[in-house]
Amino acid sequence: MRSRSLSLAALPAAAEAEVCGTALEEEVVGLFDCWREPLLRYLATFGLPMADGEEIVQEVFLSLFQHLRRGGARSNLRGWLFRVAHNLGLKRRYRTIRSWRGETPGPAGSEWLPDPAPGPLEQLLAGETALRLAAVLRALPERDRRCLTLRAEGLRYREIAGTLAMSLGAVSLSLTRSLARIARAAER
Amino acid sequence: MRNRDAHLSDEELVLAADGELSAARAAEIAGHLDACWTCRARRRQLEDAAADFRRVHQETPLPPASAARARLRARLAGIAAERPVGRHAWLHTRLHARLRAAAVGAIALIATVGIFSLQPWRWSRANRPLEVPSPRLTPGAARTADREQLCQAPLPKNQAAPADLRQRVFQAYGMANADPRAYEVDYLITPALGGAEDIRNLWPQPYVSTVWNARVKDALEDRLRDLVCGGQLDLAEAQREISANWIAAYKKYFQTDQPPPAP
Repeated sequence: MRSRSLSLAALPAAAEAEVCGTALEEEVVGLFDCWREPLLRYLATFGLPMADGEEIVQEVFLSLFQHLRRGGARSNLRGWLFRVAHNLGLKRRYRTIRSWRGETPGPAGSEWLPDPAPGPLEQLLAGETALRLAAVLRALPERDRRCLTLRAEGLRYREIAGTLAMSLGAVSLSLTRSLARIARAAER
Repeated sequence: MRNRDAHLSDEELVLAADGELSAARAAEIAGHLDACWTCRARRRQLEDAAADFRRVHQETPLPPASAARARLRARLAGIAAERPVGRHAWLHTRLHARLRAAAVGAIALIATVGIFSLQPWRWSRANRPLEVPSPRLTPGAARTADREQLCQAPLPKNQAAPADLRQRVFQAYGMANADPRAYEVDYLITPALGGAEDIRNLWPQPYVSTVWNARVKDALEDRLRDLVCGGQLDLAEAQREISANWIAAYKKYFQTDQPPPAP
């Protein structure tokens, strides 16, 4: 219970628009609390530093606020959030690569940023099988890893296909390929 | 035509495990799995692979949310203070004031018709349903924080706030002319969770046109009371969560992003 008091009589009679704005802000913050972590984990597949991921997530929710304020569709907000995060992630990475090329060059012939995942991943996992799994995950093609990540976050095939601009068939092939590789690594 | 005895492909096993097949094909596959040890073992391997990945994925180390949340709040407040943009912006910039008033009146009329016919209706921005109350006007107020007292007393009857108090709530929200039949003046902290009959604990919650409506909140209130009286949740914490953002609390306690559709 909060003890803040308020003189109601002093409130302008037509404060509705302002009140609605406040309610919408709270709704967006509530959605942020639910989806920040899944989005950050997804953005990790872009090989961007965590700070960049956080900034992209901020942009995603500022866009969501504008989207809802304009009366945009509320159906499948989960798909909407991942799609916007995906597009912003691609844009951010493209910009980073361009700045690399302009200033300090990256690895020769490298199209992408190096994946920063190996360190923490290997710290987390113990044992030979776990290390093999980490190696398989790093070796997965980027799109396969994204499919797998989105599926692990609970997205249905249709939502994954919409986010990554793939066909449903391509989504199921990609997931099968990745799971078969992981299963092989566990077998050895 | 498929050969019933042929082993299933990895793709079909994955599609079946993910519930992405037609009912007829899923039934055929279930039948095959009942009879085939080889395919069952393969399915287990693929499911283990999914579980392994999920475990690693969930363990991705992430910084705490508090600083990022505070930053988002500040930025949202900044944007909210700006003039509205987007597809309704022309209403604010191009039209003569009288025309604008007429347009707003027409939107209000259409919205009212929408309520009476109980058809799904996308509300204009000015009539956006108050899914969560204004934290300024309705921060929430409790009459008790004593769990024993609350849980041993009979369940308070779900009665409406007095008429004059309801009227003051509509006025506070600048909705003195709203149709009272379209809203429940609801307790933010329900009396069954120790909420007070206090204007700081009441807000006009729409019955229709929103996913997050009074019916959904009732379900959350029942769940929280069960948890509190079952000793699984602190009463003050339940009061805090429901008053901070009841939608976020619903998502947390029902572990879902969307409430079930209305029966």
